Amino acid sequence: MAAAEAAGMIAIGAGLAVGLAGLGSGIAEKDIGAAAVGAITENPSLFGRAMIFTVLPETIVIFGLVIAIMAIFVM
Amino acid sequence: MFKHSGTGNYAYMSARVKAKQSKLLKEEDYNKMLMMSVPEISHFISEAGYSKEMNDLAVRHSGIELLEYATYMNMSKQFRSILESANGELKDMVAAYLTKWDFENLKVVLRGKNYGLTLENMREDLVIAGSLKEDDLEKLLSAPSIEEALAIFKSKTGLSVSDEAIRAYKEDKILTKIEDEITKGYYKNVLDSISGKDRATNIFRNYMKYVIDLKNVETIMKLKMENIGGEEAADFFIPGGYQLNQKIYAQAAAAPTMEAAFNELQSMKIYEELKALSQTPTISLLVLSMERVRLQMAIQVAHMYPLSVIPVVVYMIMKEDEVKKIRTVAHGVDSGLDRDSIKNLLVI
Repeated sequence: MAAAEAAGMIAIGAGLAVGLAGLGSGIAEKDIGAAAVGAITENPSLFGRAMIFTVLPETIVIFGLVIAIMAIFVM
Repeated sequence: MFKHSGTGNYAYMSARVKAKQSKLLKEEDYNKMLMMSVPEISHFISEAGYSKEMNDLAVRHSGIELLEYATYMNMSKQFRSILESANGELKDMVAAYLTKWDFENLKVVLRGKNYGLTLENMREDLVIAGSLKEDDLEKLLSAPSIEEALAIFKSKTGLSVSDEAIRAYKEDKILTKIEDEITKGYYKNVLDSISGKDRATNIFRNYMKYVIDLKNVETIMKLKMENIGGEEAADFFIPGGYQLNQKIYAQAAAAPTMEAAFNELQSMKIYEELKALSQTPTISLLVLSMERVRLQMAIQVAHMYPLSVIPVVVYMIMKEDEVKKIRTVAHGVDSGLDRDSIKNLLVI
């Protein structure tokens, strides 16, 4: 019973790690994405650079994902 | 007057105006233009972003007239596109800033009527970027007298000029008092329409207050250059400034020399930048130098608050500056001025 409860808690923790990290990067990407679209509207050649800046906050989700994997498979 | 809600798309607009800014003409472009004739300048600016307006207007106009129409039309279009792309309180602030052109257009019409210019001549200098649309401006242009033009303007914007100013105009046919009230009306209008309750609007409000301070300093300097005394100067004070209140203004205006006037302004934050201007030899150069100070100040504020209306204001000032410079170069070349004289008028 206790083991099942612990496994449930780990699953919730893993979900929160990925979910909250995703939420954080979403908030961060909001302004970057808007700025990127603004810049591309005036100068389409900026597309490549704007794209890189827009996806930079995605790295935060990878941290969340790593924690989630560690929580499930290591703990 | 303004009614949008929500904070506004600052990130989008800031990036967009910065991309626009990067396309503006550089110092070397003006140096190149100084070597050209008017048709060559027209060709050059066509390739620098004015092609659509130049092509559209080439059927009806040519030479320097084409250049004048095209530059102002391009500027109006850029400003209107910014206004259309902005939303929320950012749109309100841009709209409030752009009402400047309503007041500038009114001044163009009044001066034109006073000096008996043709409608075509007046139309050349109109910038359709404010709240008044083309039809409204046509009504202003076709008003038979200055009083009627003012009445039309009042019905559209709510700005009324005092009977005293109109009486003064009727007596000596000089527009100074009316223009002075129009200028004050613009600043009052902007300050009244922006609440300043939250951070974003407060930045804009404070910026406009600094602009009023600069305008008042400019007035003091002009009056000192012309040796006009303190009592007459009091009429030209624009209320609502940030640091320069009526008392300091009166003391500076009453000072016997330019140096003494500047000593009275020592409490101002931008005193050091202004002090350098005290040696400016002519009023026209002073006006240009003050424009530069205004732009530098806006750039500084824009660096401090990148997600605010100020980067948009900086772009609008720079665009206006570009158009003025193109017109100055074209007029200088057209009237046969030598290159150095034209360059001095540019203050690059």
